[in-house]
Amino acid sequence: MMTSGERLVKALKGEKVDRPPFICPGGMMNMVTVEVMQQVCAPWPDAHVDPRIMSQLALGVHRLTGIENLGVPFCMTVEAESLGAQVVMGTLETEPRVAGYPLLEVAEWPRLRETGKGAARMEIVTRAVAELAGGNNGLPIIANLTGPVSLATSLVEPMTFYKAMGKQPKEVHGFLSFITERLIAFGKAQLQAGAEVLTIADPSGTGEILGPRRFAEFALPYLNRILEELSTCCKATIVHICGRLRSIFKEINQLKTDAVSIDSYTSVAELKNALDSKVVVGNVSTYLLQKGHPERVKRAATACLKQGAAVLSPACGISPLTPLANLQAMAQAAKEFSPAGAGG
Amino acid sequence: MMSNTQNILDRLARGVRDMDEELAVEAAREALENKIEALTAINEGLVKGMNEASRLYEEGEYFVPELLLCSDAMYAGLNILSPHIQRSNEKSKVRVVIGVVEGDTHDIGKNLVKLMFDVEGFEIYDLGRDVPLTDFVSKAKEVDAHMVCLSTLMSTTMDGMSVVIDLLKKEGLREKVIVLVGGGPVSQSFAASIGADGYAENATRAVRLAKRLLSQKGVAFFDDDVRRAAG
Repeated sequence: MMTSGERLVKALKGEKVDRPPFICPGGMMNMVTVEVMQQVCAPWPDAHVDPRIMSQLALGVHRLTGIENLGVPFCMTVEAESLGAQVVMGTLETEPRVAGYPLLEVAEWPRLRETGKGAARMEIVTRAVAELAGGNNGLPIIANLTGPVSLATSLVEPMTFYKAMGKQPKEVHGFLSFITERLIAFGKAQLQAGAEVLTIADPSGTGEILGPRRFAEFALPYLNRILEELSTCCKATIVHICGRLRSIFKEINQLKTDAVSIDSYTSVAELKNALDSKVVVGNVSTYLLQKGHPERVKRAATACLKQGAAVLSPACGISPLTPLANLQAMAQAAKEFSPAGAGG
Repeated sequence: MMSNTQNILDRLARGVRDMDEELAVEAAREALENKIEALTAINEGLVKGMNEASRLYEEGEYFVPELLLCSDAMYAGLNILSPHIQRSNEKSKVRVVIGVVEGDTHDIGKNLVKLMFDVEGFEIYDLGRDVPLTDFVSKAKEVDAHMVCLSTLMSTTMDGMSVVIDLLKKEGLREKVIVLVGGGPVSQSFAASIGADGYAENATRAVRLAKRLLSQKGVAFFDDDVRRAAG
């Protein structure tokens, strides 16, 4: 009997497993619900700023939903806050988000300095990882990073950033290089604390927003820089890209990641056909998970696995108002699924 | 003279379409020097160029960064031309309340729609992003809006859109205002399921849809005035 950790790593590497794992990485891909927070007495926003509460909540998510991984943090503001973005911590039902940018223009990036408050939040996350790793329960811990373009657009107004790609490409590259080194350091800290799988999510750096040419110029190389640097310190990597991916299938093939996680607008089967070797993680509709009935969720999850998803996961994380029964139905679908050719 | 006018209008359009702010500014100044009516220069030059940019965006030639640069060029030209518009009788415009629903701070899509509405001459009340759901309703009431546009990029906040529609019903405003929804995770079927009047896949389609729904409701929009003035 393999542990959840072994199963996930094997599945992400494209190796044979007894059944597909069911995960929700964390970070941008939220896996926390209000029901869980209440049942384990580890509510937002407290959980974002206290390593004990953070790790309790991550464990609670696994225990109550059947999600087969642990993952922190529960938002994508940690890296931005560490460089001076103003962050509001949200409520029980809403995630932390960036409320103020430290930069007015991209060219000001050399001014960015690490802030004490922001560094403290990075420390909270790594301590939560260390606590989870100390539990030694066979569950894979996923380290989560915000992608370079998404971090950039948390430090300067996104419209300003996208325009600068055309007007000041050199400054944009300088900015992204700087950010990428920061991300590598934060990723390394999480992995050294005991996380074994890395997920990078880049919702603002999609093919739909940037187009294939700019995705190849501004997103791909920096994602790959992180992956090159960190894949030696972790067992497997996932990159999540939102939106319709058809225009950037070629570029996705060039990502140096084991697995690609997608949202519900890209078909698992279509992407799988376009990929040389990577596995697909995905992609049960986040909205269906919040609003649908368990039976429908289970059917959607099974359909997703039949299409060829190697790892079952919500399309874009879940809403905090998602009912537990729907997540349990998804866990059930993964448990009951027998991959073709695996001998039952 | 006629060909000179056409040449200037073409350069205005090209400046916008090709993201060439300097060209748009230069051509706008020439338009004034050559006594081309400001409204004509705007509609047959700048707006035409922006429409071409939108077409390229829909065709997948342009993406968000290109569209933003085109709009910068358009605004640079507008800044020069708009003080010279002769406004004989200011007509009431279409009033639109727009914003990103609570819980979401992604506003690219919303800003693109706002931009396109702006080009059409709509009067826009932009509530920004992460907007408390009741604010949409109170603003619509306050400005006597014709249309409320809701955007989100996150599937976790989509449900807020149906809450706004329910609130509009409670306030007795639902029949009065057109509700448009849009954003990455939103679809036609979702729009129908929550009882919105329409869904548009992108900013240019949002404009076409808005104009169609307004016409169906019998709301006269600025577009006609512009055409009359230009024609």
